[in-house]
Amino acid sequence: MANRSFDVRKLPGAAAIAITCFVILYIPMAILVFYSFNAGKVIGNWEGASLKWYGAAIHNQAFLDAALNSLILATTASVISTLLATMAALATTRNERFRGEGVIHIILNQPLMVPEIVLAIALVIIVGQIKQVTGYTGLGFLIAAHTAFCIPFAYLPIRARLEGMDLSLETAAADLYASRFYTFRRVTLPLLSPGILSGFMLAFVISLDDLVISDFLKSPGQDTLPTYLMGELKRNLTSEIYAISSLLLLLSVLIVAGSWVATRKKD
Amino acid sequence: MNGPDTWRRWALSLPAVAVIMLFSILPLGVVLVYSFLTPGDFGNVKWIFSTDGWFSVLFERNIFDDTIGLSGANLSILFRSIILSVLTTLITLIFGVPTAWFIATRPPTQRNFWLFLITIPFWTNLLVRTIAVQEMIRSEGVFNRILLALGLIKEPIQMMYTDFAVLLGMTYVFLPLMVLPVYAAIEKFDFRLAEASYDLYASRLFCLRRVILPLIKPGVIAGSILVFVPSLGAYVTPRVMGGGKSMMLGNLIDLQFGQGRNWPLGAALSITLTVLVLLALIWYTRLTAGRKERDHG
Amino acid sequence: MLDIRGLSKRFGYGKGEVTALHEVSFSIAEGEFFTLLGPSGCGKTTLLRLIAGFISPSGGSLVLDGKDIAAMPPNRRPVNTVFQSYALFPHMTVGENVAFALEAQGRPRSEIDPAVDKMLSLVQLLHLKNRKSSELSGGQQQRVALARALVAKPRILLLDEPLSALDMKLRKDMQIELKRLQRETGLTFIFVTHDQEEALTMSDRIAVMSGGRVQQIATPRELYDSPANRFVAGFIGESNFLAAKAANGAVEVGQGRMALEGAADGPLTLMIRPEHVMLAGNAPDALELEATVDQLVFFGTDTHVHLGLADGAKLVARVQNALHGTRNLNEGERIRIALPAKALRIVNDEEIAA
Repeated sequence: MANRSFDVRKLPGAAAIAITCFVILYIPMAILVFYSFNAGKVIGNWEGASLKWYGAAIHNQAFLDAALNSLILATTASVISTLLATMAALATTRNERFRGEGVIHIILNQPLMVPEIVLAIALVIIVGQIKQVTGYTGLGFLIAAHTAFCIPFAYLPIRARLEGMDLSLETAAADLYASRFYTFRRVTLPLLSPGILSGFMLAFVISLDDLVISDFLKSPGQDTLPTYLMGELKRNLTSEIYAISSLLLLLSVLIVAGSWVATRKKD
Repeated sequence: MNGPDTWRRWALSLPAVAVIMLFSILPLGVVLVYSFLTPGDFGNVKWIFSTDGWFSVLFERNIFDDTIGLSGANLSILFRSIILSVLTTLITLIFGVPTAWFIATRPPTQRNFWLFLITIPFWTNLLVRTIAVQEMIRSEGVFNRILLALGLIKEPIQMMYTDFAVLLGMTYVFLPLMVLPVYAAIEKFDFRLAEASYDLYASRLFCLRRVILPLIKPGVIAGSILVFVPSLGAYVTPRVMGGGKSMMLGNLIDLQFGQGRNWPLGAALSITLTVLVLLALIWYTRLTAGRKERDHG
Repeated sequence: MLDIRGLSKRFGYGKGEVTALHEVSFSIAEGEFFTLLGPSGCGKTTLLRLIAGFISPSGGSLVLDGKDIAAMPPNRRPVNTVFQSYALFPHMTVGENVAFALEAQGRPRSEIDPAVDKMLSLVQLLHLKNRKSSELSGGQQQRVALARALVAKPRILLLDEPLSALDMKLRKDMQIELKRLQRETGLTFIFVTHDQEEALTMSDRIAVMSGGRVQQIATPRELYDSPANRFVAGFIGESNFLAAKAANGAVEVGQGRMALEGAADGPLTLMIRPEHVMLAGNAPDALELEATVDQLVFFGTDTHVHLGLADGAKLVARVQNALHGTRNLNEGERIRIALPAKALRIVNDEEIAA
């Protein structure tokens, strides 16, 4: 005891709590994955290891349709919201304050301030009317709604990246005979790209994660992965649900790993 | 020169602003309007002005003698929402701050590994994580099966559809939201300041209280807001874990638009929930803005 | 070649308006190494940014080779800048950074490649052509910034405190390197610095600035020997200032009295450099005074002798530490000192303001 070195970074008990925390976070997910390999249909009864339920999921048309819908929705909404957020971020950073800037800021962050369920109800009131009047029931409503609530998530990292960018780089480009557009293409955009990438990823995952708004707005046949899963969950709990959940878990591991590799390379 | 530049900036922001105006702000305005209308017979509304929706948020009229009393059901759900959100925030604080500290004080190479572990649940689908935690405590779930196997209980304990289940679920799903901002604050903390305080005879506790906590406070506050706000508006987790028994405000709103067929009440409840969230956010910006001013002074 | 005429710059509006530059006028000749020297906030960087075109003037004109360029955007001006932070593009290699200006002008590849190589060999960095600019040391980044600014053969090269981020040793090397580059290319350099020593060693002419105005433009020698006012004297080198009184062609300081030409009757300020203060009486044509040795500070090559006069005024004398002949002084000792007339200057107390 007498000779133990004094480490200012040590907080007694922190390590124990942290390890507990990681165990608590991972055990439920591990058990979920474990039961997804159960040969039996009822989750509790272990009847041997099998990939049966993964096979069932892959041949389940409703699941495949939901996966396709989710993919189309998340891709479209995140691409559009990233594009719009990039434009808005370019307009609202690195400048003397301009008239209306504060208002733009509040509007761009507004979807973050409203609980999902409230936004879902609000949209369902309006979209319900539009569906009745126009007869249009396509994916457009979901895409528009997802784009709206993805914008602030795409906007934040892009804006942060822009604010951290050295203004003198663009000044230097202008000094070296580059036109405004050339400067944007050769200097601003390449330097901004990690921010755009993380904005896009965030928007994509947020859209993929959404259950409430999709569930309220969807027309028949427009199930996304979360709404499909929720529907199945209400009926009964099967090993197939766990297999699908495990696939979604795998997807997020891949996305996180992918984004880490991508940012590591950029830096 | 300011003139045309302002126009250019507005024009660039316009598409994003327009999308949010149309698909987030305008619908919210409609909800506000609906909260002052009369419920339709089969859901929807009649365009007749009425404050009954707002009245029913807190009060109810006795159908037999027409006396006015507090609405016990709504009030208990409102209180449950607030109390469960506060508890969720406190529990995630107790677990999250030491975890963030632990990650931030690892050597840089290991730090990425631990961060990676905290980011995966953060990016994993909320419903999937809720299903995972449900498996732990449901009647045929892991806990009950272990306890039964050990002979500690004869009947499974009913843990689902209770306030405890909702609290457990929310703590589980929102924990990463606490760890990440607190980690960011501790990672920026200059540990030479802690050394300086020990050099000046501070005890560990004194150093923690007077040097470390004040400097990582912005991260702790940000984490608390990031947990509190989605907890208050939570819908999915209480729906799965609490069912119809342990409802939160989000589920009550859903109920009014569904089976309850009282859209004005649902709309008034929606506005109430939004205002509560806004109050929390305003409190937060006040707190951080105050600090900035002091920094300059 | 560059005529600056009544150039001024104001920032802000209404009550918040600040004038950073007050109607500055001077000319710079072809091939000159011209330095803008002054403390921070004196307007030197504003003037440089006006010449580069990053900001536009509130008034006046900027005539380069007979053409007014005041309204020309920076990407059209044949003027390039070496930035204080270097502003190297972090996502490009050294070679791509140097090639940038030529590519932006749309020159053909066949012209760009040899020009980049030539420029990189001029700054001795050809072997690092494919490195990312963020992987370079401070001195190397500095030279890439130079090569990048020189490659398009600007009429004028602007340097905004380019050496301030380097350590002492590297700084001295780069001073020599810069001077060499300027001689070899024959280019006009406009150099901004707050370091008077840097300015004195490198420049052909120096403009000393303060409060948004040019206080004096002269060669380094002239600035040192005949500063125009007290500000310039104080900013360049070390100086002693003495309050004096003039009457009938003579000046009086305490008990000392001496004939001095050009002194108008009334109170005035005299300036003398520390190395010109003589620690001995009986010098011809000098102001003789009695002083107390307050403190001796050893500097290696010389010793600074802090002196107090009878009326409370302070003076510093600098004595070389020669092997022989250094007088042994003791703190507290009373001695006689002489201030030679040749070394005394009457300086204007007021800097140029209104």
